[in-house]
Amino acid sequence: MSILDDASAARRVRDPLDRMLQYLERHWRVYALIAPAIFFILAVVAYPIFETLRLSLYAAPRNSTVEVYVGLQNFRDIFADPFFYQLLWQTARWVVLAVVMKTVLGMLIAVHLNHDITGRKFFRTAFLIPWGIPYAISAVIFRWIEQPQYGYLNAILLKAGLIDQQIGILGDPSIAWLGAVVADIWIGTPFMAIIFLAGLQSIPQELYEAAAVDGAYRWQQFRYVTLPQMKSVILIATLLSTIWTFVGFDVIWTMTRGGPLDSTSTLVIWIYKTGFENGNLGLAAAFSAIGFVILLLFAVLYLKIYTRGDGESL
Amino acid sequence: MSVATGAADRMRTQVRVYAVLIALLGVMMFPFYTMISTTLKPDATIFQSPAELLPTSPSVSSYLDVWAQTEVITWVANSFIISVSTVVLTLLLAIPAAYACARNDFIGKRTFLLSVLVVQMFAPVVLIVGLFDVMVTLGLMDSYLAVIIPSAAFTLPFNIWMLYGYFKTIPVELEESARIDGASQLMVLRKIVIPLAMPGMVASVTYTFLYSWNRLLFVLTFLTSAGKYNIPRGIFSMVGVLSIDWRMMLTVAVIGVLPLLILFAFLEEYIVAGMTSGAVKE
Repeated sequence: MSILDDASAARRVRDPLDRMLQYLERHWRVYALIAPAIFFILAVVAYPIFETLRLSLYAAPRNSTVEVYVGLQNFRDIFADPFFYQLLWQTARWVVLAVVMKTVLGMLIAVHLNHDITGRKFFRTAFLIPWGIPYAISAVIFRWIEQPQYGYLNAILLKAGLIDQQIGILGDPSIAWLGAVVADIWIGTPFMAIIFLAGLQSIPQELYEAAAVDGAYRWQQFRYVTLPQMKSVILIATLLSTIWTFVGFDVIWTMTRGGPLDSTSTLVIWIYKTGFENGNLGLAAAFSAIGFVILLLFAVLYLKIYTRGDGESL
Repeated sequence: MSVATGAADRMRTQVRVYAVLIALLGVMMFPFYTMISTTLKPDATIFQSPAELLPTSPSVSSYLDVWAQTEVITWVANSFIISVSTVVLTLLLAIPAAYACARNDFIGKRTFLLSVLVVQMFAPVVLIVGLFDVMVTLGLMDSYLAVIIPSAAFTLPFNIWMLYGYFKTIPVELEESARIDGASQLMVLRKIVIPLAMPGMVASVTYTFLYSWNRLLFVLTFLTSAGKYNIPRGIFSMVGVLSIDWRMMLTVAVIGVLPLLILFAFLEEYIVAGMTSGAVKE
């Protein structure tokens, strides 16, 4: 062993690149196993994200291969257009109403499913169905229900004497979004119900017994036992539901394509319309970039909640 | 909440619970009722204004006409092709990755798993413009792959997490003893790991299958020839600007939902396990 050898050995240990190679040599099998998944996600998700962000700086008509660099012009156009703020408002009211209704209805279903009753499995399966069928199908069913002349809704309202002539909900710019959001609520409620039910089942029964001994009424039990115990489940479920509602495309596109007079358009509907109906991919990419920023905020929040306190559970 | 003190109390609770559940179920099932009852009406009575809420003379003529008047067979077949291919591709990518994470500690594991989780949140629709560019560049437009590849990418995160969770619960000793008996790594995976992780596998497969069966966006954007439409795209193509053949469209809808109902009836528990895995931690 010469001094020279010792020195080079020490250098090797210190050299981070070398250490990395040594590590890889020992663990290459593990990395080989996850490499296909990583490569796939990079190619199919990360690269298109990059591509979208790049396109947002270009004028890129859909039907030609010519792309002209325009800097931030697309964004300037967006922020200068009063309709953009209208669009944000429409998106916000859509998401808020849908998520609130999904949460309330989901909780109502979950609380009542959380009883020892016969046929519970049947109920749980039946409540699940709207969540699991094609969105486009749900959309056309609701379009049919709300159809002005032949739809069931108008027939019922007429019979009940609530209206004296048929109304065209989806054709009226002031209420069309309500007609569409109903379908979205119908589809999204089962998820909340199932998640809440799982959460309810993990609450220790003793807590309720103690509350009952203290003479708490059913509502008080819900308020002071159920809700606090369910806090993190409710938080994660509403956050996920918010994200999915925000990016919901199929339902609105099938029901109204964002109309009438763009009154049912949300940000993602507008991305699609701008890119694929009006053929302006650059501008659509700029709208997408704004969507990314909003999603990123949600994603950070989700990770924060998900990894809270227990980084070791991974 | 079974804190009822007496039998009478318990009875009252039961009645109340059933009443609420049945009322809620009635509301939830009403859209299905309108769909199915419409398809059972003879052509003439559908367009009666206001609608008759009960079909007075039910007939199955819609179901006889739908085969001749629409491409429903092709759409169902395409839905199967797309969904099954997506399931296979996703599993091929997810099983090795999930297994590697469950069995080893390595630098970057936490980052990998968490980034995968974030991917799940990046909904396809916000990167559809970039994806469109990629598909055009790769010459994949109007090929099934243009739908299968992104569907697999967006179901991959769920699959990796689901399988990772199940693989972790399988004792290493079981695998080691098989290895001592001379089984190859692949055989261990096939004969021990995958069978033991079956509930997770079923949940993953069901989720992926439903995802690609139900989604419209990729097919709408990347497939242009009508012969390649799946069920949602087929339904969408029937939504005319001026007129809609409601009777045929809703009949196709019933046919598109039927396979899923069978799936639900048999696999409900796995679906629920899958749904709750992301939100309710053990």
